[in-house]
Amino acid sequence: MSLHQIRLIVNGREYLLHVSSDRSLLDVIREDLELTGTKRGCDKGDCAACTVLVNGDPINSCLLLAVQADGKEITTIEGVAQGENLNPVQEAFIKHGAVQCGYCTPGMILTSIAFLRRNVNPSREEIQRAISGNLCRCTGYVQIIDAVESVAHARQKGFSS
Amino acid sequence: MEKRVYVGEGVSRIDALGKVRGEAKYASDLKLPGMFYGKILYSAHPRALIRKIDIESARTLDGVKRIITARDIAGTNLFGYDIHHRPVLVGVGEETRFVGDAIALVVSETLEIAADAIKKIKVEYDVLPPLASAKDSISAGEYQVHTGTGKSVYQSNPEAKGNICYQTRLIHGDVVRAFGKSEVVVENTYTTSRQEHAYLETEAGIAFVDGQGILHILSAIQDPYVLLEDVSYALGIPKSRIHIKGITAGGAFGGKMHNTIQVHLAAMAYLSRVPVKLVLDRYESFIAHPKRHSQEIWIKIGSARDGSIEAIEADIIADAGPYSSRTPEVLGLTVSAIVGPYSIPNAKVVGRAAYTNNVDADAFRGFGAPQAALAREGILDKLARALEMNPLALRKKNFLKPGEKTIAPLRGDSPVSLDLLSNRIAERMGPWPVSKTGNLRVGRAVCFDMPVFDVSAIPVLGKSGVGTAVELFSDASATVYAGGCELGQGVTTVLAQIVAEELGIAIENVRVEMSDTWTCPPAGRTSASRLTYVLGNSLILATGKIADTLLERAAKMLEINKDDLVLERGRIAVKGSPSRNLGLSEVAKACSNDGINLRQEGWFKYPEPRLMYGHTFMASAADVSVDVDTGEMRVLKLVNVHDSGKVINPVMAKGQQLGGSVQALGFVLTEDFVVADGRVKTSSLAEYAIPTSLDIPDEFSGESIETPYPTGPYGAKGMAEHSLNTTAPAVLNAICNAIDRDITVIPVYPEHILEAVRHEKKIERKGANYGRTV
Repeated sequence: MSLHQIRLIVNGREYLLHVSSDRSLLDVIREDLELTGTKRGCDKGDCAACTVLVNGDPINSCLLLAVQADGKEITTIEGVAQGENLNPVQEAFIKHGAVQCGYCTPGMILTSIAFLRRNVNPSREEIQRAISGNLCRCTGYVQIIDAVESVAHARQKGFSS
Repeated sequence: MEKRVYVGEGVSRIDALGKVRGEAKYASDLKLPGMFYGKILYSAHPRALIRKIDIESARTLDGVKRIITARDIAGTNLFGYDIHHRPVLVGVGEETRFVGDAIALVVSETLEIAADAIKKIKVEYDVLPPLASAKDSISAGEYQVHTGTGKSVYQSNPEAKGNICYQTRLIHGDVVRAFGKSEVVVENTYTTSRQEHAYLETEAGIAFVDGQGILHILSAIQDPYVLLEDVSYALGIPKSRIHIKGITAGGAFGGKMHNTIQVHLAAMAYLSRVPVKLVLDRYESFIAHPKRHSQEIWIKIGSARDGSIEAIEADIIADAGPYSSRTPEVLGLTVSAIVGPYSIPNAKVVGRAAYTNNVDADAFRGFGAPQAALAREGILDKLARALEMNPLALRKKNFLKPGEKTIAPLRGDSPVSLDLLSNRIAERMGPWPVSKTGNLRVGRAVCFDMPVFDVSAIPVLGKSGVGTAVELFSDASATVYAGGCELGQGVTTVLAQIVAEELGIAIENVRVEMSDTWTCPPAGRTSASRLTYVLGNSLILATGKIADTLLERAAKMLEINKDDLVLERGRIAVKGSPSRNLGLSEVAKACSNDGINLRQEGWFKYPEPRLMYGHTFMASAADVSVDVDTGEMRVLKLVNVHDSGKVINPVMAKGQQLGGSVQALGFVLTEDFVVADGRVKTSSLAEYAIPTSLDIPDEFSGESIETPYPTGPYGAKGMAEHSLNTTAPAVLNAICNAIDRDITVIPVYPEHILEAVRHEKKIERKGANYGRTV
């Protein structure tokens, strides 16, 4: 495998890395950057536990080669909260019981954050569709959908008042 | 009674913050200095004699630390629950029994090197024909999967021999006579698929040997005590020199009760003397860990014209896979659960489980009861159709009455609340939907069950001793030591709620340490929805002792009789004059200064003998819509109601109900782990389809009615495991109701529905279901 120098901006911090061409972004995030909040569930794009935001889009990081992410801005679950202040989606997941084993949680939260940026006033069905690529084996999804919906509702209230 | 602060409230999970921030550490997230990576070479064939294992070119690869084969194992090289007959590594001259049997272990500097090394190990096999069906296994000629190694705790059962892993029966009354006088008799044969747990976290762990020669194993597990037994027995290490720590689990559902990787991991670290990380990829996880037992259940029921049930008869054949494990317990539960929450005067149920060379079978949420519920509730609807009777009315007519005991061998003593359940579910479902529009048919079904939860009676090798310890520090913060396992179900939070409630301290000041064989009193396994009940009760005993000590010390400080004091909300106050009080930390500090012990253990044991369980009464109802032109179906409405006694955390309880119900939707509609001639055909989460967020019903709910269970903590019962049981039969029966035909196989695909509609007859398995093996 050939080695390549790449530049990643992960959670606002710049990294210059030498990576071989066959390594996935997930490998590099977990092993080189030691950001283990991004989970590996299948390594072939079936479960989306490894979702990160690449220039704002939710991406299965197991399917993206690290070299393809060169120059891109990446947000992992570790970059979602501002210090002690949680993102409203994180808070809603706790409050609504959307977390059980927690293995799908980082990917679910990142998918939801990206979705809510684009959809100010989503229906439940739109939320269901948005997270449909992210598998969860514990919750039955309802409390996750509740959590995402509550964030949208709270924003609506914020806009209208 | 003073209002409770934590118990009964939807308190946020105490582990949720770390999980939403990505800070929770699962086994695959851990890294130790000088850590190596392990990989397992699995058998290339379901059944083969191993002629030769050549490790030379793998061993000499750069970066390979150690290759381990059977001859390197100093202990028995055998492990396994029930019977120690599962080889850690299959050696030269031995036969493999399934594709998940391990042959060699690689320890190397990187995972890439490990993968290379695995490819360079050359195994010469004599490939042999596998036993690929339980029925063939029962009638098999010469080939026996096991030749009598190991001793089972169940070997008192004389009929467990040859390829029969276990055989058991329930006989009550006289079924021959009862069927003779039955006015209506119907029968069916139900076939259930293997269900794969599909936890998002595959099996993973880290192990290392410390400077004192102690072996440490960190992994997501459901039974630290059986793991201790397995490692000690297989590798020949004294139990006192093994430390097992169950860490954050990414789901388990029964599948992590079996030690799929941990003994292999222990061998890697122990023999190579370096820290080792072992993580299965999804395919390895799929082939290596056991599934829900595929079963074929023939069931017959007879009743009087008015619907009074006279008799049930059933014959169950289960595919045990290659090893025993919990098959005897799972099959025992299927047999016991066949009669369900009904008053059945005569029953004959025979269950047999047979060894095969298919993937292994073991515990999965519900533990054999979901298969029984599917067959029983299915045949009840068929009986209702034959009687031209409303199926709910038929069930109500035959419900166990309050105070009446089931004839099932697993007895229970929970107050019977079936009428409450049926009333609530009828309310929730409302009037019957319009049954026909164009090519759409709508059907409805309501199903009931009374799954057991353990009250400390699990009759296995004395492993069910249930202790907990609580330490109150001088600042009135507390640590709980509880040997059960947090799998995502939320037990850590429930225990914190209980201790905070009992000691009157803030939940933020309670830390819960779980699943550690060095620090936690033995507590048995995490299964049978037992932890809230058994750990909760033992915690109340432990905190009671601490409270007593505190009251005694406070009485001295206040110069008053202990009986005149009360502990509440973090203070000890004089009854009747609350202004005269001491802060809990003040008293705890005084105890600490005086050397008075504030670490206490509580030991709980149910007073009744073995085979006494609690029952969680439950019901599910479903409305489905079926397109008779295409066979497509949709679950329009799905309602679940449980009586799990006092609910300690309603938000988490609802999460269990809905999560279990969706697992059951997968079981009945999409999930089929296909194995053909012992080989796995569904090798990824793309081929084995678990439900997504788009698969949940349009209207979907889970709720509780709360009949207090007298011996439960605050009246609580177990509930997490149970939520799966009634959904699958409710959906299957609703489909049958919609098309007015029998379907007796799950998962139900559109082609099954079409075939039933077009051919107007019961569907038999064929074609695509070749992998089904019973």
